Amino acid sequence: MTTIQILDDRLISQIAAGEVVERPASVVKELVENAIDAGARSIRVELEAGGKRSIRVVDDGLGMDRSDALLAFDRHATSKISSFDDLQGVGSLGFRGEALAAIAAVARVELVTATEPGDGHRIRIDGGHIRSAEPTAHPRGTSIEVRSLFFNVPARRKFLKTVRTELRRATEVVQGYALSRPEIGFSLSHEGRTLLEAAPAGDDLEAARRRIGELFGAPAAQNLVDFCQQGPGGERLWGFVGDRKQGRGRRIFTFVNRRLLRDRTVMAAFYRTVRETWRSEDFPALFLFMDIPPAEVDVNVHPQKAEVRFRDGRFFGRLSSCLREALERARGEEPAPLAETTSLPGALLAWQGLGQRSGSPFGGSAGRVGSSEVRELDGSLSSEPAGKLADVVFAPLERSTVPLSGRSGEPRPFRLLGQYKGTLILLEGPDGLYLIDQHVAHERVLYERFRCQLVETVVRSQRLLEPILLELAPAEALRLAELASDLERLGFSLSEMSGNVVAITATPAVLTPGLAEEMLASLASEPGDREEAAEDLKGRLLEALAASQSCRTAVKMHHPLSAEEMESLVAELFAAEQPFACPHGRPIVLKMADIELERRFGRR
Amino acid sequence: MEIRVKRSEFLNELAPMQGIVERRTTIPVLSHILLRGEADQLHLAATDLDVSLTTSCLAEVEGAGGIAVQARKFLEIIRAVVGEEVRLILEDDKRLTIVAGKSRFKINGLSPADFPTLPDVGDHDGTEIPFAQLKAMIGKIIFAVSSEESRFQLNGALFKLKEDSLEMVATDGHRLALVENILEGAKVEDGVLVPRKALQELLRFEGEDKVLFRRGEHHLSFRLGRREMICRILEGTFPDYERVIAKDNDKQAIFDRRNLTDAIQRVALLTGDRARAVSLQFDTERLVISAANPDLGEAAEEVTCEYGGDELRLGVNPDYMVQFLSAMETEKVTLEMKDENTQCIGVPVEGQDRRYLCVIMPMRI
Repeated sequence: MTTIQILDDRLISQIAAGEVVERPASVVKELVENAIDAGARSIRVELEAGGKRSIRVVDDGLGMDRSDALLAFDRHATSKISSFDDLQGVGSLGFRGEALAAIAAVARVELVTATEPGDGHRIRIDGGHIRSAEPTAHPRGTSIEVRSLFFNVPARRKFLKTVRTELRRATEVVQGYALSRPEIGFSLSHEGRTLLEAAPAGDDLEAARRRIGELFGAPAAQNLVDFCQQGPGGERLWGFVGDRKQGRGRRIFTFVNRRLLRDRTVMAAFYRTVRETWRSEDFPALFLFMDIPPAEVDVNVHPQKAEVRFRDGRFFGRLSSCLREALERARGEEPAPLAETTSLPGALLAWQGLGQRSGSPFGGSAGRVGSSEVRELDGSLSSEPAGKLADVVFAPLERSTVPLSGRSGEPRPFRLLGQYKGTLILLEGPDGLYLIDQHVAHERVLYERFRCQLVETVVRSQRLLEPILLELAPAEALRLAELASDLERLGFSLSEMSGNVVAITATPAVLTPGLAEEMLASLASEPGDREEAAEDLKGRLLEALAASQSCRTAVKMHHPLSAEEMESLVAELFAAEQPFACPHGRPIVLKMADIELERRFGRR
Repeated sequence: MEIRVKRSEFLNELAPMQGIVERRTTIPVLSHILLRGEADQLHLAATDLDVSLTTSCLAEVEGAGGIAVQARKFLEIIRAVVGEEVRLILEDDKRLTIVAGKSRFKINGLSPADFPTLPDVGDHDGTEIPFAQLKAMIGKIIFAVSSEESRFQLNGALFKLKEDSLEMVATDGHRLALVENILEGAKVEDGVLVPRKALQELLRFEGEDKVLFRRGEHHLSFRLGRREMICRILEGTFPDYERVIAKDNDKQAIFDRRNLTDAIQRVALLTGDRARAVSLQFDTERLVISAANPDLGEAAEEVTCEYGGDELRLGVNPDYMVQFLSAMETEKVTLEMKDENTQCIGVPVEGQDRRYLCVIMPMRI
């Protein structure tokens, strides 16, 4: 019986062709998806040289008969859809039908498959050419081995990264499916060393929790608060949030129809909900599974299916409320992270929080080294039309102005009005009244000074009496290994222990051991590649150091300043790279726009 | 009811209570102390739920009853008033009148029923430790207790009773201090973690007697005379410290302790606020201590010592060195090293303790 059909031309054109095979991880992804779609209960992945030399995926799924197996390597051969209507309702993971063909075109592939034990077939394909096809004995299921990826495409081969990087990416793929499919057993090994092993568990919340425990260590799973909500659109939102505060980007996994996705809008919804619910910038762990009727979601936006489009615009409202409810429950088990913050009364909303941490255009990466977002003041959330504080040229005022020259060297016509309660510096600006928090302003100025010095100095490294052991998920451990040399330069020393445990033997002296541990744990779980991660780490380290230094030496609140002191502080602040938020992320400058003032006085 | 008590005696017992009460607490009663009159005693109690202190002083008591009063204000009043005797008159369990000399205060309090029930360690046998010895030992290790809350198991010191000896160990992950002393009659027990605050309060105890140390399931009790401190046992696994302490440090330098301390302190003047480091360069019969800071400048000082090993240079945090050196009382100190990557161990020369050492991990500078 033939279950695989050739797609018709119309359909082919409807599916945007894309590069399916980019690196070993994408091969692993396609093969694992095929195995899942074949109904496997257990999937074994074996890699050599990070998958560059060999990738082997063995499943116990349905298997294929001889003609299916041969046809499987044809472009757009798929068993999963046969018409455009089917495409609208894709429920399985892979459907493009180009995956196997694309892989076979750039590697040496050996496929052994059987629909019944014993009745198997072995097919060898090199660079797209079928070399042999013969009957063989094989248990039910499919095992496919992809060797020498890109052996015939040297240009692509050159773009492959180190074994460690490729291995980490492939591990992330397997980890993602292992998380989303607790009912399937997974194992991953690299050159004989087992990296990941998860027994089939079942298909409910508890099984998913157990699976998280298997991958991330039992303590990580214990502190999770579960949620499950059935939406009116037929979708089911379920998963877990952490109850402890953890650094940003720490273990945040989102799945759409069991496919690991880091969709930006979903992430943004989560971050926003945490900020609103917890009033905190520390984001907890998140494992979010969005099971959505296939018709309601378009996974065909991106060739690697790394982005989705939700048809129903109200979906995000439901997602946020579901997350909010879970976060509130998670919060209930710990003391309030911040003092009660009352919502701003209406009148205060007029004060634009320049550099306010959430919502402002510079908020996201407040104080991050090398941030260029500072100048993008035309954020969507400010009610004002675009007004770049640093760049806009204003007509000079007639009154004497504070000689505040910015980076651009243009004088900015601000006039010093004075000090308010020894705490705020008041400035008359061309378009409104500006208030500057003197303490945080000074902190920012000192911070920038420190940062400049720090770039040149060697980072001091303090050895630890006893190594701190970090229990990580396989992909996380690999990521740290990948970063080892960068970490070394920044004062960390790591050594790999058995399993997925990394031992920290020295940390930058500016960090306490606990802080260093937290920083590494969060770094390990963050997405992105080596280069960004290393930059990010350096930035955070400098920040930790500079922030602690500058906070202590900065002028305090309720400290009267002379006009000269204020002028020099403001001048230096405006020359700073990030004049709007202090190293801890609090706003420095508030502005009350003329327009707003006029409106309040009833003149508009 | 009315309680009459000698002011000086009362003050003596009242003052140590201040260390226990929480200054910034969300539970108001924790900033209070409990006063309770009974027979010929005035009992006092304070707690922050982790550490509690109870004491008493002789008093003339008419009737029975008690009240919880705001600790700081109450102490200020008792300190400020004159006269030898203080009269405490309890109208009900929420209002206390204080009469002393010609002053009269009426203060609001809380009902004793609102005061937390203090933990009880039960009827366990205890171990007696001479207070002077306990205090000296705590002083020798307390500086190494970690103040990092995320590593709570290091926020205290390990007390370990051995056969005829007592050992205390503290570490913050960068250094470790260990002291062991003879304690006649001590029986082997598992180590127990005593939180930092309890250690600090023990240092404030007074007297020449022996402290009775008892251990319950979740709490420890230290009793000296009228005072008893009960603290919650810090849960957690303390590092396997004996395994951590290096046994193969083959280089030794012997110093005059005071000279070394002073020299490090002087050189450390030119280190910054954080990530402080001085370099120690050992050479035949001398040590050069130096520091450099891009903001401040450089400093160096030479100290003579007995050293015959190879040249060796290592970086250390000067605070770790100075805190250890200041906790010792001997004239000379030995530093034992191996290389620039491994621990430096400080040991007093001819000290009174059966064993005292401080392990300091080096820095790469």
